[in-house]
Amino acid sequence: MAEEILLVGRGLTKRYGGVTALADVDIELRAGEVLGLVGPNGAGKTTLVDLISGAQTATAGELTLRGARLTGPASRRARAGLARTFQYPQLALELNVRENLLLGRAARRHATLWQMIAGVFVGMVRPRMAADDEFVRAIADELGLGGLEREAGDLTLGEQRLVEVGRALGQDPLVLLLDEPFAGSDARGVAGIAEVIHTVRRRGHAVILVDHNVDLVARLVDRIMLLNQGRVVFDGDPGACLSSPQMQRVYFGSGADDDEAGDESAGAEVQGVRS
Amino acid sequence: MTDLQLWLSAVEIGCFFGMLALAYHLVHVGAGFFNFAIGPYAMMGGLCTTWLVITYDLAVWPAAAIAVAVTVVLSALTELGVVRPVQRRSGGGELPALVAVAAVLFTIQQLAGYVFGYPTLPGQSLATFGPVTVGDVTVQPTSLLMIGVALICFALVAVWIRFTRTGRLLRAVGDSNHAAALLGLPVNRIRLIAFVLAGFVAALAGILFAPKAGVNSLSGLAWSLSGFLAVVVGGTGSVWAPLVGGMLLGLVEVFLPYYFGGQAHVYGMLLIALLFFAFKPQGLFVRTVRA
Amino acid sequence: MSAENLRPRPAPARWDLRRVPGIGGLFLGSLAAALIMFWVGSDGYRQTLVTSAVTYALIALGMYVPYLMAGSLSMAYSAYAGIGGYAVGLVSTRTGLPLAVAWLVGPIVAALVAVLLGLVTRRLSGFFLAAVTLLFGMAFSAFLIDAEPVSGGSGGLGNLRPLNLFGWTPSHYQVVLGSVVVVCVIAFLLDRLRLSPWGVIVRTMRDAPRAVEAAGVRVPVLNLVALALGAAIAAVGGALFTYSAGSITPDTFTLNIVFLAIFMPLIGGAGTPWGAVAGAVLAVELTLNFPAFQASGTLLLALGVLVIMLLAPRGVLGYADRLRVRTWALLRKEPHGG
Repeated sequence: MAEEILLVGRGLTKRYGGVTALADVDIELRAGEVLGLVGPNGAGKTTLVDLISGAQTATAGELTLRGARLTGPASRRARAGLARTFQYPQLALELNVRENLLLGRAARRHATLWQMIAGVFVGMVRPRMAADDEFVRAIADELGLGGLEREAGDLTLGEQRLVEVGRALGQDPLVLLLDEPFAGSDARGVAGIAEVIHTVRRRGHAVILVDHNVDLVARLVDRIMLLNQGRVVFDGDPGACLSSPQMQRVYFGSGADDDEAGDESAGAEVQGVRS
Repeated sequence: MTDLQLWLSAVEIGCFFGMLALAYHLVHVGAGFFNFAIGPYAMMGGLCTTWLVITYDLAVWPAAAIAVAVTVVLSALTELGVVRPVQRRSGGGELPALVAVAAVLFTIQQLAGYVFGYPTLPGQSLATFGPVTVGDVTVQPTSLLMIGVALICFALVAVWIRFTRTGRLLRAVGDSNHAAALLGLPVNRIRLIAFVLAGFVAALAGILFAPKAGVNSLSGLAWSLSGFLAVVVGGTGSVWAPLVGGMLLGLVEVFLPYYFGGQAHVYGMLLIALLFFAFKPQGLFVRTVRA
Repeated sequence: MSAENLRPRPAPARWDLRRVPGIGGLFLGSLAAALIMFWVGSDGYRQTLVTSAVTYALIALGMYVPYLMAGSLSMAYSAYAGIGGYAVGLVSTRTGLPLAVAWLVGPIVAALVAVLLGLVTRRLSGFFLAAVTLLFGMAFSAFLIDAEPVSGGSGGLGNLRPLNLFGWTPSHYQVVLGSVVVVCVIAFLLDRLRLSPWGVIVRTMRDAPRAVEAAGVRVPVLNLVALALGAAIAAVGGALFTYSAGSITPDTFTLNIVFLAIFMPLIGGAGTPWGAVAGAVLAVELTLNFPAFQASGTLLLALGVLVIMLLAPRGVLGYADRLRVRTWALLRKEPHGG
């Protein structure tokens, strides 16, 4: 079975004034693939996620999703099939878990202006539907999350991340972007998130997983991209990544400071993997 | 009224708005938010002075001193009793602080109305000399005082911020309350000083401006908005920026009604607000970008 | 706490009144309204008080949507109420159209104005938004005075004709009763809206606008819809008041009312629209019907707001609700106790 290419990014670049956060990054994601995005602090991982999801606009470069160009504000890209979580969880803290989990599904019914206006009247007439409750219950089961009537503000950080991942899953995305979902999670949280990743893959959709914890990422993904100082320095098999010289250089600093050479070899590596 | 007389009037009102804006600026630099109760502070200063003079036959100077003291206390209470607890509980959110300040504004208005009564009272002049005539222009002593005191206030604050330790700390604290606290800077004390100074400047402005058109318990809201606009128009780039913003609004306040009648200045203010907020929210004079 | 609410229900056949969203608030609200109407009776002064409370409540309910659900404090509500009021006044004095037209046109015009103002101020929030919308409210009353040929200038419009519904003209008492019913219905509907998917999105917009955008909803557009809804509700309040009073002037809806409307939900509790209604009743009681404190009622209210803000951020109803939840939990633990 031919693996369809879902997401393609070419020459993605982000500059803030004189600082280059992301330089000419290419990215490709196949259906059913889980891609790990690792690198030290400030490597440009979150910037890349932001450029793809539309939270920030790219200085240069272009994106396609299933062959269609991916442009415009985050909301349009979300409707095209992207969903994401945030490095700092963005939950409505005064809403309960059930309502937070419902957001993705609710958003799909309020995509256009007319739906937003109609939503006022529909909401007044039928505020709560059994189908919505069942939908939320299914996601919560998958996450292993109970206590749906608790306020999100009362949850631990790990639980908040779990809720956020579940909310993104509720959008039934083609590409799920997870930005550091494991920070603050316990074993149960990690299991829940792993379950979500598995579900998305089973649906034939793709995941981009960003995290510091390279070992954890390597266990969950099909492929790893290693970023350093806004550039891709490795793109390939997780096992190979852990033992690669690029990995050594980025995380342990051996053979540092020959940026030129490093970039060239990284380029060669990327080429090698692609062909 | 000659044209020059109009200009003088504009400068006078500009100085008043400038002083209100300076009060805003002090709190904004120190605490990073806009204290909408500045206008009511000024109203308190003006109204309390007049009330003391009328009711207790006090001389103007002691009455003004008491009014300033009362206003400064109110300002300090705003910070200690309302803003600080609300901000501590709600984190950095802007909305709770805004609602809290709106409540303070409203409370001071009601307090003034209850204690001093609701009718408009005439302001009391601090000046002891007569009008000065320069060519065709007659300068009222109150105008002269308004302009002179405003300039002195700005100069003193400029010197204070630049040359004293506390003044420099004010900026350091204002850039990030949180970071400053981590560095062990006395954030709370500096913020309190900013509020107290702001209350002082606002009360002075109110006392000096009251003779021009009188003052009542509801004057504060319009003054709050004018001062806020002046500080936004001027920007936070320099201590003097609020004065420039104030002058611009003073011109609007005087010349628009003169040429377009009645209430043109209200429309003018709205227009200026929309233009500046939409296109130049950082104001005319910009310092470094705040995080 | 009540996870059983979520257990997939086999069929909608087992319809349970107690599970209807918002029914509790409606029950208590209607009960209070009925008691108030009983207290009012045929007393003209008390009827006026109720009309004021209704107007305050509707303005506060209008603000509830953008301010407490979406988290943006727009303060142009004196203008929106004014638009509703002047719609009644103009239709009544300048046209021969049935008055019902005004009840339709006013809210629609107010909503459109809110959308326009919202478009112009779409990049503003917090203090900047508050300042511009306050100035808009001031400019609107200046405009009412300037546009004398249309609005009647500072004298306003008077001698409005009574409503005529197919030959039936309601008595004053019936109008008061009707407006109380309108408040209850709107509070009930807003309470349901708050719990609905639309409400979930709008309330998420307040704390986590990025998440809403990332879920596929254009935040600025939804904000405009919320503003329009709020303005329309406030316009209904303005129309009701103008009809009951029989006249309207530029001073009928002042910025004072806007400030009160900000505080009402804080007093009553921001958790539900009924909090705004409770706050409005309390505000009217304190400011207009407190003979001993006639002059200081508003001051008392303002101080009360400060105290509540510092000590009981969930408001009076919020506290009552906490108490209810706790008692409920206790009762469930020992169902046969006592």
